[in-house]
Amino acid sequence: MTGTETLTLTQADGIATVTLTRPSINVRQLKELTAVCDELEDNSDARVVVFRGAKGVFSDGIDFGEFHPDQALDIHGFNKWEKLCTRLERLPKATIALVDGPAVGGGLQIALVCDLRLATPASTFQAPEAHLGFLPGMATFRLAKYIGLGHAKRFLLTCEVLGAARAAELGMIDRVVDDLDAGLAQAVASLGPNHSVAVTLTRRLLNESYGNSWENAIGHFLAAQHRAISQDTFLQTLRQHRDDADS
Amino acid sequence: MIDVRPRILSVGTANPPTRFLQESLPELFQVDDPRLAGLFHSSHILSRHLYLPEPGPDGVPDETQGELLAKHLRGALEIGPQAVERCLEPLGLTVQDIDYLCVITTTGFMAPGLTAHLMKHMGFREDCSRVDVVGMGCNAALNGLNPLASWSAANPGKNALMVCVEVCSAAYVFDMTFRTAIVNSLFGDGAAAALVRSEASDAPRFAPSILGFNSQIVLPAIGAMRFDWDDSAGKFSFFLDRDIPYVVGQYAERPVDRLLSAHGLRRRHIKHWLVHSGGKKVIDAIQYNVGITEHDVRHTVSVLRDFGNLSSASVLFSYRRLLDEGLVERGDYAVWMTMGPGSTIETCLTRW
Repeated sequence: MTGTETLTLTQADGIATVTLTRPSINVRQLKELTAVCDELEDNSDARVVVFRGAKGVFSDGIDFGEFHPDQALDIHGFNKWEKLCTRLERLPKATIALVDGPAVGGGLQIALVCDLRLATPASTFQAPEAHLGFLPGMATFRLAKYIGLGHAKRFLLTCEVLGAARAAELGMIDRVVDDLDAGLAQAVASLGPNHSVAVTLTRRLLNESYGNSWENAIGHFLAAQHRAISQDTFLQTLRQHRDDADS
Repeated sequence: MIDVRPRILSVGTANPPTRFLQESLPELFQVDDPRLAGLFHSSHILSRHLYLPEPGPDGVPDETQGELLAKHLRGALEIGPQAVERCLEPLGLTVQDIDYLCVITTTGFMAPGLTAHLMKHMGFREDCSRVDVVGMGCNAALNGLNPLASWSAANPGKNALMVCVEVCSAAYVFDMTFRTAIVNSLFGDGAAAALVRSEASDAPRFAPSILGFNSQIVLPAIGAMRFDWDDSAGKFSFFLDRDIPYVVGQYAERPVDRLLSAHGLRRRHIKHWLVHSGGKKVIDAIQYNVGITEHDVRHTVSVLRDFGNLSSASVLFSYRRLLDEGLVERGDYAVWMTMGPGSTIETCLTRW
């Protein structure tokens, strides 16, 4: 286990777990999450990455304690945060958010960039930024894709607090589970065999599908599909299939 | 210790004066077959600069191989010098300052090579060393840059000039077949020149150092891209296999990973990707196999759109656009990737 000031990273049985031990996001946590990305991209053989909170909070979002009203706010900090979110979204492994307690603002974004989202009944979801006078990050871009434009407008403009059941109904999360660990085991099993290229390319094509023409998308699909069918893991699947048919 | 490395100090580009809208070409040459005409209506190429002949009575242009070779030399001596002047002028240099000249072309063969013709035409010094890289295709800018950088490293302070000159309109067969129509809808004419000189990396000048190269040849696909003799046409004819994007895609990661690991880098450390504008499918294949984004290939895509595939000159056109964008910062790494006959993928690492 790697423990740092704001999070821990543990890896066991093909699952890397990032636990956000600091309940709100500060510059330190941004840096440590970036280091986690380096580690997961360069050295990890985990097939699934799990993000979870601690002590009944998934993440409260940006820590305002680090901002000073008498100093000019730095837009580049927001750029760094969004770059981190994009990197989390593109990790070369399946990603799962396990939410227990509040997932607020930037914390909600971390959940949104994951491939799957599970939450306990005690979880709540909110993007309070508009009521504070700033913008809810690129949640403006991602959220409408999950829940539709109308729901996203209401959620982001009224800053309402959603319970887990309602969030699941809207499609903001996938499932409400009483026991996160049991839910995780089931989710990992449901992801099937480890075809990381298929996972990452399917995810990439889905993420790109909203801003792409059919003509571009079909070209991208063919390039991605060729990459997938050239992988050893796919060839093994074919061999297994033939062996099964022969026996 | 002062690190002295070959650096790319300037780049200049040029195209023939006449620009054709892609969609106007089938009509101009009376290509009625909708299957062939359709090749000219994709959105990936909007225009190309070409030295086009007058259409014949039946639309088919009539140029012999001899006329094509003469056109290649004529065109090369128009756009080549323009690119050279645009490259040298910002540095306050003239061709008299050039110590080593490398000229790259695939669209015409001659002896003496284009280096000699360019030196005579532009008045280079008589003691300028020269080398012609002929027939290596779209990847050749990096095949030329590699020895050029080595020469430069061995001769610090001396000026090495690389000129890619491709008159693709002097290398075509027009026979209403799918094979030639693909080629005739893709390539454009252009020239690009780059000045390389080894100087200390702490020099105040903002120019990238050339750090290394890595190559990948895919010999089973030796015939996938070829420029060979067509007896019935009495001309050289270019052939592009439909599987090229997939061959390129399958092997694209290998040279990139070798290049980066030799320098202790990962792909995420690369700020800029300069990829040859080979064609839409080839660009897609690079994007999805190397894991780079639409943003990373924006110049590759826009050069293809505005000029078509300029063979060896393409990658320097993308480099020109990257510089013009003004976003490059000191310390940024760039990976250059060119693909072509062999089949081959050439890569180069530079750092500002």
